[in-house]
Amino acid sequence: MADEDADGDDDVPGDRGDDASQLGRRRFLKVATCAIGGGIGLVVAVPAVKYLLDPVGRRVVTTGGEPIDVIALDHLEVGGPPVRVRLIAREVRDAWSTVRDVPLGSVWLRRTGDRDVEALSAICPHLGCAVAFEPGQQRYQCPCHDSRFDTSGKRLGGPAERGLDPLPVEVDGDRVKVAWIRYRQGGSDREPV
Amino acid sequence: MSIRDWLDERTGYRKVVHASLEEPVLGGAKMAYVFGSVLTFLLLMQMTTGVLLAFYYSPSSTDAWASVANIQDVVTMGWLVRGLHHHGASAMVIVAGLHLMQVALYGAYKKPREVNWILGVLLLGLILAFALTGYLLPWDQTGYWATKVATGIAGSTPLLGAKVQQAMQAGNEYGNLTLTRFFALHVFILPAVTLALVGMHLALFRKHGVTPRWGRSDAELRRTAQPFWPDQLFKDLIGMAIAFAILFAWTWHEHGARLDAPADPASAFDARPEWYFRALFQMLKYFSGSMETVAALGVPAVVGAFLLGLPFLDRGPDRNPARRVAWLGMLGGGVVVVGALTVISFQHDAGDAGLAKRQAASEAQAHRARALAAAHGVPASGGTAVYTTAPFYQARELWDTRCTKCHEGDDRSAPQIRAGYGSRPWIAAFLKDPSGADFYGKTELGQSDSAMPAVEASPDELEALVEMVYAESGAADVDAALAAQGRTLFDGDAGCTDCHSRTAPAAAAPAMPPPPPAVDAGVGDGDAAVATGADEGDGDTGDDDDDDDAGGGSAPNLAGRGSPAWIAAMIKDAGAPTLFGAHNKMTSFVDELSPADIQALAEWLTWLRTASLEDAAMLDAPGVVDPPAPRPPQHL
Repeated sequence: MADEDADGDDDVPGDRGDDASQLGRRRFLKVATCAIGGGIGLVVAVPAVKYLLDPVGRRVVTTGGEPIDVIALDHLEVGGPPVRVRLIAREVRDAWSTVRDVPLGSVWLRRTGDRDVEALSAICPHLGCAVAFEPGQQRYQCPCHDSRFDTSGKRLGGPAERGLDPLPVEVDGDRVKVAWIRYRQGGSDREPV
Repeated sequence: MSIRDWLDERTGYRKVVHASLEEPVLGGAKMAYVFGSVLTFLLLMQMTTGVLLAFYYSPSSTDAWASVANIQDVVTMGWLVRGLHHHGASAMVIVAGLHLMQVALYGAYKKPREVNWILGVLLLGLILAFALTGYLLPWDQTGYWATKVATGIAGSTPLLGAKVQQAMQAGNEYGNLTLTRFFALHVFILPAVTLALVGMHLALFRKHGVTPRWGRSDAELRRTAQPFWPDQLFKDLIGMAIAFAILFAWTWHEHGARLDAPADPASAFDARPEWYFRALFQMLKYFSGSMETVAALGVPAVVGAFLLGLPFLDRGPDRNPARRVAWLGMLGGGVVVVGALTVISFQHDAGDAGLAKRQAASEAQAHRARALAAAHGVPASGGTAVYTTAPFYQARELWDTRCTKCHEGDDRSAPQIRAGYGSRPWIAAFLKDPSGADFYGKTELGQSDSAMPAVEASPDELEALVEMVYAESGAADVDAALAAQGRTLFDGDAGCTDCHSRTAPAAAAPAMPPPPPAVDAGVGDGDAAVATGADEGDGDTGDDDDDDDAGGGSAPNLAGRGSPAWIAAMIKDAGAPTLFGAHNKMTSFVDELSPADIQALAEWLTWLRTASLEDAAMLDAPGVVDPPAPRPPQHL
């Protein structure tokens, strides 16, 4: 592609002879230059974009879905205030590495009956901050944008579009186990990510 | 021919220098023109400090925080480099704002400089993109939670939201790929694009020259023109020096930039963005539902579109601000609204006592995490694992989850165990009143007929008995003579042997690694063979002991009492025949805890013997991380 005439300038020095044939030749050189250059670009760009979008829709960070032991049942009082517990995964695969004892998130637990425990993800369904419980007002409040929820997780106000996300709970003997699900932030529908 | 002539003949450098420096500045050099140069200077500062940081930074979810903590607290001048980079970003936002206002005031976006204005607005966007991507890189609490909100906003884009969010954070969840992605954007893509745009911005600036104050005739401007070098460049340098002095002084004063505790998804953290995003942050509070998406994405889009479109909206040739009040008013109004939202946001936080308390706690945690990292390094499993390097971390975690219910608090059902447990004063108090509230008073055994009676002895005798029991723990500071005296009393008049033995059962094998050798030979027998029945099965009975020595078997064998191995045996199975036997009510942990866990607990409980309540509290105090028994550093 080192043809010095292919620079798009019609008044190049040395431009002699049959004008029509020269013009046709130049047009061909222009088109060919763009086509070959563009072809190389495309061959690079398509894999590059696919490469960059690889993680989209893929579960890059994964952990076994088995319920995680969080607390002894008798640490929860029937009808008592919610208790926040940390969910620590035994093992998490994070792209190329496997890490043990990884904090996944935290959960608010409420014992509603002798063997009934309800779990609410502490992740605000708005933009993902960790919600706090306000014992005075008996409600959850997000410290970031002031979304509010009642003790059952129902949305009371603020920018969140849905209530707090419930998580599956299992009472196994005297231990409480919670399965971790992360839902997509925002929106009124609960979509696991 | 001079060397310079020779060089010029071959490179033409004089023409280049002339063209870049001797450009006439129409109307003369002005301080009003320095902002662009100051921004260029700050950009070079950011590039320099950024490259320096890259020498020590590691972009992975397990290493990022540790490497930044290392830069901050270990690397010489690391805090300064990181601080200049962090506060330099703020400086760029401020100076870019000033630059924009100066240009707008002078009407410099008007024909023929529209393209240059657009490039400037795009560069402002790039500065904010740098801030956004850079905020996450330390992988600390602030960066993690604030960036979650930012990607969350991206996720609320209509239709493509989830895809956009996943493309930004690289996958379903924050992790290694999020960091590598933000890192690549922050250090390769954004700088490349920025440099390209800055190059065009400068080229167009040189093409069109400065935009002098309005209302001066061409003839007058030409008459008062001054060369760029040295007249304008000197003023530029004054501007750079002022900016640098403020940036450096501020960084020094703040001792660099904050570094919060490592990102912990399971914690509760009050996410707050950098100050220049505060207005957007505050605005989100006023909208809900779909209106919020409109606000979060729409308002910045409208502001951006207004800025980009300004040269085409304010089209008249007149640059006099007095005749452009409407446009400048809109721009100024925008600045006032942003400023007001920012102030409201900070005031709202300042008036929140709960937040202040939580932030103080976060600060203390950050301090502790950094101190631990500096002292012990961060385990390869990631930033939050730094807490596990605290003294007795594992044991204290186990204690808190498994033991406190019975052994701590007013509702406990077993002897109180805390700092001082097993010390001489503790043993003395126990012997005087075994059924006291701190001892077996709250247990069924303590309230039954089988409870141990108080030891009746003179103060001297009691002291000797205490020393004798204390010696069994293998402590280094035992008074051997006094302990021997105590053993005589124990075997004789005190009547202890009616129930207790103090010699190890012959058949018992140590279940745990043997404890460190006792300093005092007088207590050697107590340590070498450990009183444990935990591994011997249920068929074994305490009667075996009676055959071996004069002591009775209805109460725990005191051989090795208080040593790590003895405590481990208690944790494994306090109902072992040589311990509490049938009287035991304590859970057996032999199946629940691993041998390593039991050993860790036993070592911690042994440490409590030497600790005061203050010492124990210090284990969790921020900044105090020296292990109670420091090991000498070893060279590899």
